[in-house]
Amino acid sequence: MTTETVVRLDGVRKEYGETAALDGVSLRIRRGEAVAVMGPSGCGKSTLLNMVAGLDRPTSGEVTVHGERLDLMSETRLALFRRHHLGMIFQFFNLLDDLSALDNVALAAQLTGSPAGTARRRALELFDELGIADRRDLYPAALSGGERQRVAVARALMNRPALLLADEPTGALDSRAGEQVMDLLIDLNQIGQTLLIVTHDERLAHRCASRLVEFADGRIAAESTLDRV
Amino acid sequence: MRAVWAAARAAVRRRRLQTFVIGLVAFLCTATVVVSLALLDATSTPFDRVFAAQRGAHAVAAFDRALVSDAQLTGAREGVAASAGPFAQATVSLESDDPGPWLRGPLRVVGRAAPDGDVDRLDVWQGRWATGPGEVVLNAVPADGERFAQGPLSAVSEVTVGGTTLRVVGWAWSVSASADAWATPAQVAQLDPAGTQMLYRFSGDVSSREAVRQRLSGVTTGLPGRSLLAAQPYQVMKDEAAETAGVYLPFLGPFGVLGLLVAVLIVGNVVSGAVVSGFRHIGVLKSLGFTPRQVVAVYLTMVSVPAVTGAVLGTALGVAGAYPLLSDTFRDLGYGQTGVPTWVWVAGLLGVPGLVLLTALVPARRAGRLSAAEAISAGSAPRRGRGLRVQRALSGTRLPRSVSLGLGLPFARPARTALTMASLLLGVITVTFATGLSGSLLRVAALGTEAGGDIGIRPGNPDFNETMSTRTHQEVEALLRGLPGTERIGISVTRSYAMVGQSSPVQVDFVRGDVAAMGHERQLIAGRWMSAPGEVVAPTEMANERGLKVGDTLTLEVAGDRMTVTLVGVTMMGLPGSGDDALFAPWREVPGATPDDYYYQVEVAEGTDLAGYMGAVRAADPGLSPWDNSGGDDVTPVVTTFATVLALLLATVAALGVLNTVALDVLDRRRDLGMLKSIGMTPRQVITMLVTSMAALGVVGGLLGIPFGLAAHRLVIPMAADSAKITLPDSVMAVWNPVTLALMVLCGVLIAVLGALLPARSAARLTIARVLHNE
Ligand SMILES: Nc1ncnc2c1ncn2[C@@H]1O[C@H](COP(=O)(O)OP(=O)(O)OP(=O)(O)O)[C@@H](O)[C@H]1O
Ligand SMILES: [Mg+2]
Repeated sequence: MTTETVVRLDGVRKEYGETAALDGVSLRIRRGEAVAVMGPSGCGKSTLLNMVAGLDRPTSGEVTVHGERLDLMSETRLALFRRHHLGMIFQFFNLLDDLSALDNVALAAQLTGSPAGTARRRALELFDELGIADRRDLYPAALSGGERQRVAVARALMNRPALLLADEPTGALDSRAGEQVMDLLIDLNQIGQTLLIVTHDERLAHRCASRLVEFADGRIAAESTLDRV
Repeated sequence: MRAVWAAARAAVRRRRLQTFVIGLVAFLCTATVVVSLALLDATSTPFDRVFAAQRGAHAVAAFDRALVSDAQLTGAREGVAASAGPFAQATVSLESDDPGPWLRGPLRVVGRAAPDGDVDRLDVWQGRWATGPGEVVLNAVPADGERFAQGPLSAVSEVTVGGTTLRVVGWAWSVSASADAWATPAQVAQLDPAGTQMLYRFSGDVSSREAVRQRLSGVTTGLPGRSLLAAQPYQVMKDEAAETAGVYLPFLGPFGVLGLLVAVLIVGNVVSGAVVSGFRHIGVLKSLGFTPRQVVAVYLTMVSVPAVTGAVLGTALGVAGAYPLLSDTFRDLGYGQTGVPTWVWVAGLLGVPGLVLLTALVPARRAGRLSAAEAISAGSAPRRGRGLRVQRALSGTRLPRSVSLGLGLPFARPARTALTMASLLLGVITVTFATGLSGSLLRVAALGTEAGGDIGIRPGNPDFNETMSTRTHQEVEALLRGLPGTERIGISVTRSYAMVGQSSPVQVDFVRGDVAAMGHERQLIAGRWMSAPGEVVAPTEMANERGLKVGDTLTLEVAGDRMTVTLVGVTMMGLPGSGDDALFAPWREVPGATPDDYYYQVEVAEGTDLAGYMGAVRAADPGLSPWDNSGGDDVTPVVTTFATVLALLLATVAALGVLNTVALDVLDRRRDLGMLKSIGMTPRQVITMLVTSMAALGVVGGLLGIPFGLAAHRLVIPMAADSAKITLPDSVMAVWNPVTLALMVLCGVLIAVLGALLPARSAARLTIARVLHNE
């Protein structure tokens, strides 16, 4: 495998009881690519993302991310791996309600042992880049959806991940806030950030992704290269 | 109703851990409550129970045989509900020398054909009833087979009274103390009885001594004047019993109270937690069309299933545990086989489930009133000021982030934290109190056994077919000092004196040798040890009862021997040979004392075999009769056992309270946990965070709980001593040092950590992938 390949799935299968959420999925994502995954509800998109993030283990098959076999790692190794190589954003932001925006973002670095000062400085840089510096002392409850998602993106970028995973990042946002988040993702990809985006939103896929993977019933039904709009 | 049941069943299934915790807490709390209540009941009413079982006499009356006939006595029944007698009663003096302090002349012998009857049904607990001439049954508190065999009683095979030697064929116990000994009516007739005994149970008011006296006067009005020689109302025995049992009550009562408090708190926390964490579920039920009343019913059903199950099992455990403890204890006091009374069963079976339901009702009704929308959004309401400032401050500290996040957790839910803290606090109080109590009691016991030496020795008693040593006390001392293993020897000789200004005579133990060094000096409560002739020291019980203080001058007199002495000190106990009603005085020769008037006590070197030593004493002089004096008292092991069991139970319950809190926190915060894991929090960091959140409470609970535990200890020990009519030296209170106190704080932390560990570990293992993607 070359270092150019960031994600490599080989015959990944995930069963929940009787049903197979993933049924033999093989997929490669190269550095700098932006891949969008689409498909009907319940076809296994989030499950795929969990495999790539090491949040869950495949029933069979191999999951290799950034050159390491996630399916063979211990929970602790997985946590350390996520900490250093992955960033994740979710439809519902998943911010801690009782930490300020800045502390939510600093948290990602503090978990690795960075002192509070260093972590807050790095978080401030990101707040500046993402245009939410004036929101840093507010609590999640006081932020708009778009602002919350941008804080979540900042948190995902704290440790300069090799891969950014997003599950319906615009799913809970109105169209204007959704546009802002899309612009942000495009900018990130343009400076080399590898992206894997799960979405129902055609616009998001076509604006941000360079490749589209279509899912149905736990399998890849079609793959196509996109010309970005 | 079917919908309610189905919803409740589903809720129970979904919250297995919650259900299990409610069940377990109900189980342990019920067990604690049952043991505590059984204990309180046993300590407060043992006399009444045995008195009822034996159909004890309200009055034990002795009439003059010369003035009143048996027929007159049988006829006088004014106000009498039941009676026994007339029985001939002889008061005879024991002609043998005292076989021991527990049997001293004069002896009241009553002629009874059988131990049963309408009043005073005797418990013949060893041997059989006297049926033929020359047989006697003695009155003593029951002892089980093994104890009886070891103790001094089994050595008594006959007693000589009024020139007649009677063979001891059995031992019986009368809670009314109706006699010291019983024989057949024919046998007592030969002992020249001067009295006739009647035992009465009255139908009217017998609540006070005065009332009993009035009932009795109803009986005596028709009889010749002055024919009633003496009458003993049952209150005399009851007071005496209360003195013994009263020692237990202050020791163990606080555990009962603590147990109930902890039960209420934990049940409250667990149940309201279960309901609050189910708010979303409530919202769903309501949107499905459940009425508020049905929602309340769902929640009450959900908690009552485990609560009832736990209470049933807990009652069974409590009864099973309390029964042997109680019967062992109270048998030794003479209160027979003590069971767990019905009302305790009922309290256990109904009380705790009732409590659970009552506690559940408050949040359940709140849930019932909540609108569906409110319920669904509950928990996501924005938080308030103080908690947030604390989080911000913690976020900026140098602590590892998992630790500082953990420290912040308790601030997020102040009410839940307060309840958890309270149960930790009570856990620490209980453990501290139990530790102090046991420590003090062990010190008291140690002082007692230490002062008694390891071996007591008296020259043999010829009346018991023993040979009496012919050695003088100096020779016996020399002999004992020569034996290998002897470390210290105390020697005493006892003489009875009249005390000017007091009606009852006093005993004086003239002591020499190592009596002071063997521990009596360390037992001083007031004043100092005597250092010159003319000085005496009194045991506290004697000083209290006779109103003596250090500095008092006493005049003692016997057969022309008159001495004026000054009380210079008060000790905890007297010499084991003479009990707590004898003064200590410096040695002097007592004219006319025979070898068996002397008592020797020996402390042997560490590791000496006591049986071997006693054998060596007998071999050196068969006229010396040694016994093992090293045993402790009865109260200490009982109280320490109960204290340990109850402290462990309560600590476990407190830990379960913590377990529940962490389990709820995990449930409430599983999205947060999922997010933290997704950004790289390791399983160990998850555990650290959750355990830290509780350990912090443990530290605070420990620090706050210790003063209360110390105060309880400070209050209860003197109270218990008071009811035993003694004062304890300060040294027994000084069981605390910085190390034990630090251990108590640690114990709060330990309870918290042990409680938090289990749910924290399962949280660390939880796969939270799903909650991250879906709301
Ligand atoms: N933890 C789980 N236990 C049982 N079944 C699961 C679990 N996680 C997912 N599934 C099932 O696996 C299938 C795929 O789920 P997944 O969440 O990956 O779908 P999805 O494509 O993300 O859907 P959506 O677009 O609605 O988010 C579904 O049928 C789902 O019910
Ligand atoms: Mg999904």
